[in-house]
Amino acid sequence: MNRTRVIFIVIVVAALAIVGLAALARLLSDQPSSPLVVDQRGPINVRVLTALPVYDWVNEAAKQFNAENHELDGNPIQVEIISMDGLSALGKFDRDEFGALPSDVDLENLTPEQERALERFPTAWIPDSRYLPELANVAYKERLGRDVFLTDGEYRARPIAISLFAWGVYQSRAEVLKERFGDVDWQVIHDAAITRGGWPELGGLPEWGFFKLVVPNPRKNVGGLAAMVAAAGEYYDSVAIGTAEVTDPDFQQWLGELMSSTTDLSGGSAYTAEDFALFGYSAGDGGQLLESDLLNNMEGIQTRWGEPLDIFYPKYVTWFDFPFTTWIGPETSAAEKNAALEFQRYLLSPEVQAKAVAYGLRPANSSVSVDQPDSPFTRWADQGVVPIVSRTEAMRSPDRDVLLALLRWFDLNVAQ
Amino acid sequence: MTRNKSSAGPWVVVATVIVGFFCIFGCVFALIVLNRDNSGGPGSGNVVVPNTDPTSATLTLAYSPEKAALIGELVDGFNQQKLRTDDRETMQIQLLELAPDLMVEEALSEAPRFQALTPDSSLWLDQLDRRWAAQQQLEEGAIAPSAVGESVRYAVSPVVIAMWDDVARSLGWPDQPVGWETIQQRAAADPEFRWSHPSTSQASGLLATLAEFYAGAGKTRGLTVEDATAQSTIDYVGNIERTVKFYGEGETAILDRIKAEGRDFLDAFVVQEHLVVNYNRDASAGGSPELVAVYPAEGTAWADHPLALLESSDLTNNQRATFRAFRDYVQSPEAQKVVLEAGFRPADLSLSLDGSPVSLANGADPSQPQTTLQVPGPAVVDVVQNVWQFTKRKANIYLVVDTSGSMEGEKLDAAQSALREFLNQIKGDQEQVGLVEFSTYVNNIDPLDTLGNNRADLERSIDNLEATGDTALLDAISVAYDRLQQEGDPERINAIVAMTDGRENASSVTLLRLRETIRRGNNSGVPVLVFTIAFGDDADYDVLQTIADASGGQMRQGDLETIRQLYRLLSSYF
Repeated sequence: MNRTRVIFIVIVVAALAIVGLAALARLLSDQPSSPLVVDQRGPINVRVLTALPVYDWVNEAAKQFNAENHELDGNPIQVEIISMDGLSALGKFDRDEFGALPSDVDLENLTPEQERALERFPTAWIPDSRYLPELANVAYKERLGRDVFLTDGEYRARPIAISLFAWGVYQSRAEVLKERFGDVDWQVIHDAAITRGGWPELGGLPEWGFFKLVVPNPRKNVGGLAAMVAAAGEYYDSVAIGTAEVTDPDFQQWLGELMSSTTDLSGGSAYTAEDFALFGYSAGDGGQLLESDLLNNMEGIQTRWGEPLDIFYPKYVTWFDFPFTTWIGPETSAAEKNAALEFQRYLLSPEVQAKAVAYGLRPANSSVSVDQPDSPFTRWADQGVVPIVSRTEAMRSPDRDVLLALLRWFDLNVAQ
Repeated sequence: MTRNKSSAGPWVVVATVIVGFFCIFGCVFALIVLNRDNSGGPGSGNVVVPNTDPTSATLTLAYSPEKAALIGELVDGFNQQKLRTDDRETMQIQLLELAPDLMVEEALSEAPRFQALTPDSSLWLDQLDRRWAAQQQLEEGAIAPSAVGESVRYAVSPVVIAMWDDVARSLGWPDQPVGWETIQQRAAADPEFRWSHPSTSQASGLLATLAEFYAGAGKTRGLTVEDATAQSTIDYVGNIERTVKFYGEGETAILDRIKAEGRDFLDAFVVQEHLVVNYNRDASAGGSPELVAVYPAEGTAWADHPLALLESSDLTNNQRATFRAFRDYVQSPEAQKVVLEAGFRPADLSLSLDGSPVSLANGADPSQPQTTLQVPGPAVVDVVQNVWQFTKRKANIYLVVDTSGSMEGEKLDAAQSALREFLNQIKGDQEQVGLVEFSTYVNNIDPLDTLGNNRADLERSIDNLEATGDTALLDAISVAYDRLQQEGDPERINAIVAMTDGRENASSVTLLRLRETIRRGNNSGVPVLVFTIAFGDDADYDVLQTIADASGGQMRQGDLETIRQLYRLLSSYF
């Protein structure tokens, strides 16, 4: 072999050795992500706290959004969905658990701890109802002297889907209630709940036991508070409920009798509609739950328990509008805020809104209808589901004092 | 030819250098990669490797024992996927078996060994949250924080009363409603009727106890603290509990003994439905089910097996990612089929139970239960758990402790710690405990007395244990046994917990004679259960097993790491 060939081979071997050692060094490094290639601008991460009733739909949309490689100013956007009940999220904002920066912070000189804490700061929040960000604003106004969620302008909260509370009652039980009382409303449920002889006295079968109400636990699911406010609405025949109404002893006794017919007072679960389906009539004969949750579980209930639910719409209705709410503080960058808006627009697109319907949600985009042939609203029409809810009055959003008074009452009188 | 021959030499050398280089490089590379992946592979079992790495994607999951097989299979399936986080760390789950009440205790401690948990019931998550919130000193009216992060369900199983088919039929099943009250009445009327439920540290045991409190209060819902603490309720529950044969460490332990001893062991016991299903699948081999799941007429409850993340400041982003990936995995169609095949009811409602193991052929009825017992609020549950400690069947227990020379040093320290733990676990002061210390002879006896009288004396005796001499195990057990027979108290559970680390070499009584004494005594006198503990590898397993078998007790193995836990576990039998 001539000298040129030997030199050539030595050079090749040396080059391979250098590449190999570089790879080795990278593996041994404490920073495995340190690049071997030219640095790229990283993705813009959008973290969205999302209420439980829309989580499955929003999460599926986020996966599709990420797969479609959406970009903002040439940077890819990555959306992460974090499921969290609205009340839990409100509590975290109240306690400042996400770590909002003090109003006098020097943004150019954040400590490493502050920077690390901000890595998990939520970019946006989709709570159950618009009153929750308003309540969060109250806490931040006290702490920082300003709102952190806006009600107007580019970053204002925009509903991405809506749903309302409706009665879902196992068909066999519903027939007995209708036979005896003629309708299903809070007063009927109350009367059934306090019937001492249980179902046999109401005209049902002995093995059904007592009437069992399904209502979300207000400590775990904001729907529980909504249900209690709706019950108050019917009790007082009014859409506006204040502290005086919910602290009235007669009302509290009536509510206590009603709530004592729930089967699990221990507060273990936040997923009431799922419980309703998973544990069947053993855990509840019927209850007032979010229509989307009921529709989502209708097929499963039929499969597992061989009996559908009948759906009834109450006179006093509570609507959840799931507003997409962008955090406007300095904890998230302008790019993150704008990337969140990109995702919001994506959620409101007709294609994604049509998918919301498949999850039992009513679309926020009015160009999308709910009465397509394959929609759950059509499929379960025979069970009482209607595309347009008539004869109802919408409950007004309760204020913070009403919510806290109801929570306190619940803790002292039901969840003891 | 010559040219070819002469040019081959350098090429061979060069080729060898290159190949050699790549071999060495490859080996080093492989070693590094293997080291990086060695973070708890499939079936990593109970070996928990502490994590201090801020990028760690290894998540330790605490699980309740009755679903060991299912969770093991799910974790293996997940780990085998070798999923990676965004920064290329391998996602791995490690398993840690813990009783649900211990999960709560450890989660509230400063350094829990796990970052996620899957107890048998959401009840424990609620208890954890409430106790954690109570530590936070919240302002009046504040929304309480939660230590439990994201949670999902992947498997559920109703709590049932398992009975032999003929026993169930003798109670009127399936034509008549059979419930908690039926069992309680039968047990009160028939001393030969043997039934058992786990302690209240498990969901099934807690439910069985709640049913007794409801019956005692004459209610079927709306149980209050006043109801649970009324003397008439306590007396009622105490009378029922006196009919319980023993409590024991849990549902799987009962099923193991049912498998080993057949129907002579118990007539009825409280377990989750999936354990009945799986027993029949193994035992009946396609024939009629031997055990049937009776869904109590008054209502039952569900073990809902939540999978939850424990929020803490030490949780890494990668561990959170691993949790979410595992959460998605256990809810996947593939995993849900595993859940169904394991005898549980899957959380995926699209999976029909028709044609599944949850069937009449396996002793279960998929259309049941029809109604549930109301689970009261947390304060009432706490009271029931606490009051039960004082109403459950009392026990006479002799602790027999080896202090021979081989116990010297860390073994004796561990044994002392374990004995203290045992006493700590027995809350009520009405239990009677004594202690027999032996080496070459029986050196010291603390006579049986209520813990209210002798707890301090026992603790002092334990503190003063010294190791020296030979091993007179049989003499010591014989002394304890004779004393329990002299006591002759049939109302209580009578038991001996005997521990040794060596071989018998100094007793005057022989093994055969002791075995006969126990057999005869248990037939003609009060039944005394002997639990024997082989401490370390040098203990005489055959002798210990023989003594345990003669009494209907158990032989268990322990070592320096497990002896404390073992004593704690045995305390659950009393």
